[in-house]
Amino acid sequence: MSVAHRPTDETLAAFATGQLDEGLALVVATHLERDAASRERVRDFQSAQGALLDAAVPVAMVGGAGDVLARDPDAAPVGKADHVPEIGLPRVLQPYALGPWRPIGIKIAMRRVDVPGAEARVFMLRAGPGVALPHHKHSGLEWTTILSGAYEHQYGRFAAGDFDEADAEHEHTPRVDAIEGCTCIAAVTGNILFQGWLGRLLQPLVRL
Amino acid sequence: MRPAGMVARRGRLVPLFDHNALIVAIARSADREAFAKLFDHFAPRVKGLLMKAGTPAELAEEVAQETLLTVWRKASLFDPSKASAGTWIATIARNLRIDIARRETRSRLSQVYEILDEDGPEQPDAAVSGAERDVLVRAAMTQLSPDQYRVVELAFIEGFSHQDVAKRLAIPLGTVKSRLRLALSHLRGRLEDLR
Repeated sequence: MSVAHRPTDETLAAFATGQLDEGLALVVATHLERDAASRERVRDFQSAQGALLDAAVPVAMVGGAGDVLARDPDAAPVGKADHVPEIGLPRVLQPYALGPWRPIGIKIAMRRVDVPGAEARVFMLRAGPGVALPHHKHSGLEWTTILSGAYEHQYGRFAAGDFDEADAEHEHTPRVDAIEGCTCIAAVTGNILFQGWLGRLLQPLVRL
Repeated sequence: MRPAGMVARRGRLVPLFDHNALIVAIARSADREAFAKLFDHFAPRVKGLLMKAGTPAELAEEVAQETLLTVWRKASLFDPSKASAGTWIATIARNLRIDIARRETRSRLSQVYEILDEDGPEQPDAAVSGAERDVLVRAAMTQLSPDQYRVVELAFIEGFSHQDVAKRLAIPLGTVKSRLRLALSHLRGRLEDLR
């Protein structure tokens, strides 16, 4: 199994600089946790950031080294995430609260990921083998990382670890793998506009 | 006259002491003198970089202080084979800037970065060591044209979208994309040999 679809350089650079919306960043991070090649590209950007820091023009500090240590003489190391991680979930989800799985249709279930302060809404989606997700388009972005199984639409087949970066121009009808089904995590900005009867059923639910 | 502790190299003053060694000294023996040297070098640069990206002076000062305090606390986690001092400190500064800027919304993003950074290179045969990468990236960056350097700075440090870089520099979007592509292929070309 190898990853075939990766984020663009623009997206990875925005992730590396910390400028991405936290919901979108979390879906990128889920891909990065699974893909060493994309992690390497992020490290290239971080290395460039280090080079720019070394070359930065210094601006005089008000406080000095002594002040900083005096303020916090024996500061304890920063603690880890405070709750027990759920087995089988991506590790990058550990800091976040997740809702329960809720069925939203036949062989489709959804689970909310609570990302405080994010503009994008984040959720996990689990669909049974062969399910056709309703045809939809977006008014904003829809970024998805596949956690297990696969789906396919006119832009290709997306399997575990793949990253699907759809924007407002995309309009698609993903079809879930006939044998494995599919579990993914998605971040969505703006609205998803569904078509068809199932779409109309889903519309109020994805507003979360 | 040059300041004590500095040496001229290719027309620029560079520090004589090794920053990596200073962090190791802090980790080993809570060396306050090493910390003072590290602080005096990096804190004003973190502040300068943030202010250049439009961060108000007071906030930039706070992030710079917190960054160096975190270096003091986490010195034992520093692994010179994964990244140079400058790269490690730049990622700490990034995380703190996010924490402080998104304080009200209880952002957890810096924890996400930390979870990802816990992974070592997972392809020990293929991956460039962080230290080698840093040397190559720094060398390659000095060879960028000023135009390329500026788009790299805006896109990779300040995190502007290509669209916003085009607006700020008043150049066409296509020019931004081609400059970044050239700069990236130059940087990556230098790394390919080692991968």
